[in-house]
Amino acid sequence: MKILALHLSNVRKFTGQRASITGIGTGITVLSEANEFGKSTFFDAIHALFFEKYSTASKPVKSLQPYAGGGVEISADIATDQGEFRVEKRFLARKSAKVTRLSDNTTIAQDDEAERWIAALLGSASDGPAGLLWVRQGLVGLEPDTAREKTQAMDARRDLLSSVAGEIDAMTGGRRMDRVMRAVADALGDLATQRGTKRGVWKQAADDVAALEAEFATVNAQVTALNAALVARKQAESTLNRLDSPEGKTRRDTALALAKTALDAARAHAGLVTVARQDHDLAALHTKATRNDLDSFLAALDGLQTAQTFVNKTKTASDQAKIDTATRKLSLDHAAAQHQTALTAVAIARAALEDTRVQITARKARNDAALLTTQITKAQSISTERDTANAVVKASGATPAWLQKVETAAADVALHTNAISATATTLRVTYDAAARITQNGADLPANQPIVLEGETVLRLPGIGQVSIFAQSAGPQVKATLAAAQVKLDGLLAQTGATDVPDARRIAAIRAQAQIQFDRAQGILDALAPAGIAALHSAKAEADLTASAAHDAPLPAIADVDAAVSQAETVATAAQILWAQADCDHTAARENAIKAEAAADTAHARLDHASTNAGPAESHDSQRADLLRRHAQTDAALIDTHTKLQSLIAAAPDIDTAQAELDRAEAAIKAAQTERAQVSERRAALSSQIQTLAGNGIEERRDDLAGQLDTARLAEARLAQKAAALTRLQSALEAERVAARDLYFGPIQEALKPLLSILHSDAALRFDNDSLLPNGLSRADTDEPLEDLSGGTREQIAILTRLAFARLYAHQGRHMPIILDDALVYSDDDRIIKMFTALTRVAKDQQIIVFSCRQLAFQDLGGTRPKFEVTPL
Amino acid sequence: MITFIHSSDLHLGKPFGRFPEDVRARLRQARADVLPRLATLARTHNASHILLAGDTFDQTTPSPQVIRQALNMMRAAEHVTWVVMPGNHDHANATELWRQIAQDAPPNVAVQLAPTPFALTPHATLLPAPPAERHPGRDLTDWFDDAATGDALRVGLAHGSVTDFDSSEEGGSSVIAPDRARRAGLAYLALGDWHGQLQIGPQTWYSGAPEADGFKHDKTPAALLVHLQGPTAPPHITPLPTGTIHWQRSRLDLTGMTDITVAHRTTLPPLPARALTLFDLNVAGYIGPLDRFALDASITKTAADFLWHRADLSGCRMTHDTSDLDALDSQGALRAAATALAVEAADPNLSTETRATAQDALSHLFAVALEE
Repeated sequence: MKILALHLSNVRKFTGQRASITGIGTGITVLSEANEFGKSTFFDAIHALFFEKYSTASKPVKSLQPYAGGGVEISADIATDQGEFRVEKRFLARKSAKVTRLSDNTTIAQDDEAERWIAALLGSASDGPAGLLWVRQGLVGLEPDTAREKTQAMDARRDLLSSVAGEIDAMTGGRRMDRVMRAVADALGDLATQRGTKRGVWKQAADDVAALEAEFATVNAQVTALNAALVARKQAESTLNRLDSPEGKTRRDTALALAKTALDAARAHAGLVTVARQDHDLAALHTKATRNDLDSFLAALDGLQTAQTFVNKTKTASDQAKIDTATRKLSLDHAAAQHQTALTAVAIARAALEDTRVQITARKARNDAALLTTQITKAQSISTERDTANAVVKASGATPAWLQKVETAAADVALHTNAISATATTLRVTYDAAARITQNGADLPANQPIVLEGETVLRLPGIGQVSIFAQSAGPQVKATLAAAQVKLDGLLAQTGATDVPDARRIAAIRAQAQIQFDRAQGILDALAPAGIAALHSAKAEADLTASAAHDAPLPAIADVDAAVSQAETVATAAQILWAQADCDHTAARENAIKAEAAADTAHARLDHASTNAGPAESHDSQRADLLRRHAQTDAALIDTHTKLQSLIAAAPDIDTAQAELDRAEAAIKAAQTERAQVSERRAALSSQIQTLAGNGIEERRDDLAGQLDTARLAEARLAQKAAALTRLQSALEAERVAARDLYFGPIQEALKPLLSILHSDAALRFDNDSLLPNGLSRADTDEPLEDLSGGTREQIAILTRLAFARLYAHQGRHMPIILDDALVYSDDDRIIKMFTALTRVAKDQQIIVFSCRQLAFQDLGGTRPKFEVTPL
Repeated sequence: MITFIHSSDLHLGKPFGRFPEDVRARLRQARADVLPRLATLARTHNASHILLAGDTFDQTTPSPQVIRQALNMMRAAEHVTWVVMPGNHDHANATELWRQIAQDAPPNVAVQLAPTPFALTPHATLLPAPPAERHPGRDLTDWFDDAATGDALRVGLAHGSVTDFDSSEEGGSSVIAPDRARRAGLAYLALGDWHGQLQIGPQTWYSGAPEADGFKHDKTPAALLVHLQGPTAPPHITPLPTGTIHWQRSRLDLTGMTDITVAHRTTLPPLPARALTLFDLNVAGYIGPLDRFALDASITKTAADFLWHRADLSGCRMTHDTSDLDALDSQGALRAAATALAVEAADPNLSTETRATAQDALSHLFAVALEE
């Protein structure tokens, strides 16, 4: 189909007018006019003409009505393979639709028939493939906004694909496949959720089974209870019949009477047994008495004989014990003597030992006393020496400190003297002859300086006198020298020393005495550390001990000590023997005493036995009498025993008879009790049976069993159906996915050259469900469609439609592409490329472009139609 | 000498729980209607007695309604004497049942709970052998041989299977000597337990149930009109149809069938009979998807004709050829899915369950796709 002309009458702004566009080309037609020209009005009007029923008053149709109201009339002249036609519809008032063949101006369809003609022209129901090819103002996406439109678009794509590519339709199954899958999904959805949970009739069937099972279990339990009650009642009735039978009652009464009779007889017999037992017991007593008498007599005889034997035996023992005692006494005495001898030997040995020890001590003391004498002598000598030295020390004041002070004072005097000498006039005389120069009557010393001070008058024998006037030292120097001299003199005076050398001599004497004192004191401390008096005391003590010493030879102490030990050993052994002998003697004495006592006892027993046995001459007669009496009583006992045993053997068991009576009575009582109990139980069972049986539960149980079988079968069938539908769904889905992979091929093929105009090496990725592009792959990037810019999405949307349109055209079914202010987001560069793509497609595809962008679309070229508005 | 109707196995109160509620009600009512029908036959044929040879009731404790209504119907047929003997389902030890019957039974009902002679007429004595247990396990008719009945003709009444005839409906309720009639000098031995009518010997018959209760027996349910002319005279037996509900089980073997729809129709009873027919169709053999679709459609269409209808196609094995699948599509995903399922359904290496699922899936696919 190609649109040749469009006519609108009384549509929106064209109130009371007829607006026409004629001269529309078969390729690109551009109607580029300014805003408010009415492009969108034409667009919407064409859409309504092809996709709205003439009878509708839908919103899109109403939107076409002008403010003034009135009917809306739209028509289009179209060209198809069958020729040229005019399609026209009148909406809202005097509604109609009509198709007119232009060649002969013949109306070929009207109203509903015209609608069907249009639908057939478009290729399918709903919006048809053409709906896909219309691009509204500012459209950037591929999917419409509303669900209805989406469904329609999907159907359109299906329809387009079905029409343009039979093999694709065959592979994907097309809408038929969708319908099958929807039907399967619906059928499965009626049975189960997507997770497989039962629902709908299946769940109901499962619930029915569960409910029936529960009810069956309940009723079956009741039936079981009923059957048990019936059996129990039957048993109860059987028991009652048995209890109530005359035979049973007679049997129980007879048993009672017989038991009573038997018990009476048993009791009577028991009386006879008692009497016989008493006779027997009396005879037994008599027999026992005679037996005792006989036994006593015989025992007395035996006792007498035994006592005599005992007397003899004890006497012999007593005599022997006395002999033993004497023997033991001798042994005891001997042992005592031996012991005493040993003790004496021990004393002697111990004395020898003590004497030896004393001698050893005394002789040592004697030696010690001699040594002490020597030591005392030496100590006294040293002590004297020490005391002498000490006296010197104590008497002298020339201590080393004093000497030090003297030396210091002397040095001080010498110092001051030298100082005066250094400034004084000195005179040295050397004598060649014996004559001497004198001064104040004294000779002047030779060869030594002599200080001259003031006027010095020297007499020179043989010559005369010489006066010398020398310069003297100052008074202060002289005073200092004098003070030093005084100090020195003072110190010397303390010890009586005449001068400094004397002082040194006196100090040396004192020091020597101090050394002597110290040495003597050291020796004395070694010799008599406790003093000489202590030495004297020690010597006196040693002398006392040594006084016992003699010079006779001494035995070795070890020998003496050994002799003591040997003597003590002998004494100990003797003591043991003595003690043993003493014990033996004591024991012998005790035995003798006991033997004597036993002999006394034996005599006493003999006397007692003799008394018991009586005179010896009557022993034989007594024995004979007692034996006779015992024989008589024993015979009587045997007789009564025989009688008693006979009665016992014949006696009925009274306990058994009593038990028999008890049992007979209990049987009657038990029968009465049991009857009452069974009757009560039967009544209860009958009530239970009537209740249960009255409900017809057995019939109900069988009924439920049948229903349950049927319900289980029904549920199994539904389960099988669900499984089959699930399997079918998976098989269909698997094949559809496989086929869909083939579906995208032709679309990609058609898109490829168009897409390459805009993007080299780009490819579109398609969504399995929507069958539309959902991503663009370029170089290494793969971007979702929604992440692309508005311009790119707009271009892809248009290119995709162009691709679909090409597929459609290749099948000989041309549908116009109508763009209403498209490409509003595209820049100048891209819009030119889009023009190229449109031009390429327009070789065999009608494209109608409405745009207000006159300048931008100037480069698109194409046909410019004629637009005119005329009054109606 | 005496004319009576011999019937048995009424199984009054049988619930028929495997059937839908409306069918159950219809089946129960049909059984209840047997009693007046027998009474009418007795009147029509001048029968003085109706002998019921056991299993008059389906359970040992039927609901009071079942008992009372049965007794009321017997009471209404006052021209005839009902001789009711227990069977294995309502054996003599079903004390509550027989207590209630003894309590409510009208005068024209004679219950035979003990193996003692019962005078039907001055010239005819009945020897009953009532089971006291569900499975007595012995021949209860032993006592017939030595029973003293004077000069009267002897009619035996028993319930159970015969020795050389494994006929018991439920595992054998008793074991009856097949020559008991001859050995005991019976003019006629009326047997119950076998729900189909069957003659065992010259004087020995199973009457069968008056209304069918299963698909086991293909004969029309009937009672027996028995006319005895003397102790040694052969009995004159006339079957009297009594059944109203037909139970039909048909088998459809698909092997070699070319037109499935026609083949299916051949298994069906005539249209007028279908409304009172329980129809159980068992289909076996190999079938293609298209034929399966056609068969399903035919079954669905005709099922509504019947009182009850069941079609068991589990014996079908799916087979397919190219033409079958072409009917669905010559190529494409739909065809590919069908082919995959068909291959799976015929793969012997797969489990039976898997193949059955694939077969059903294929059937569904055809059903959905061909609905267009």
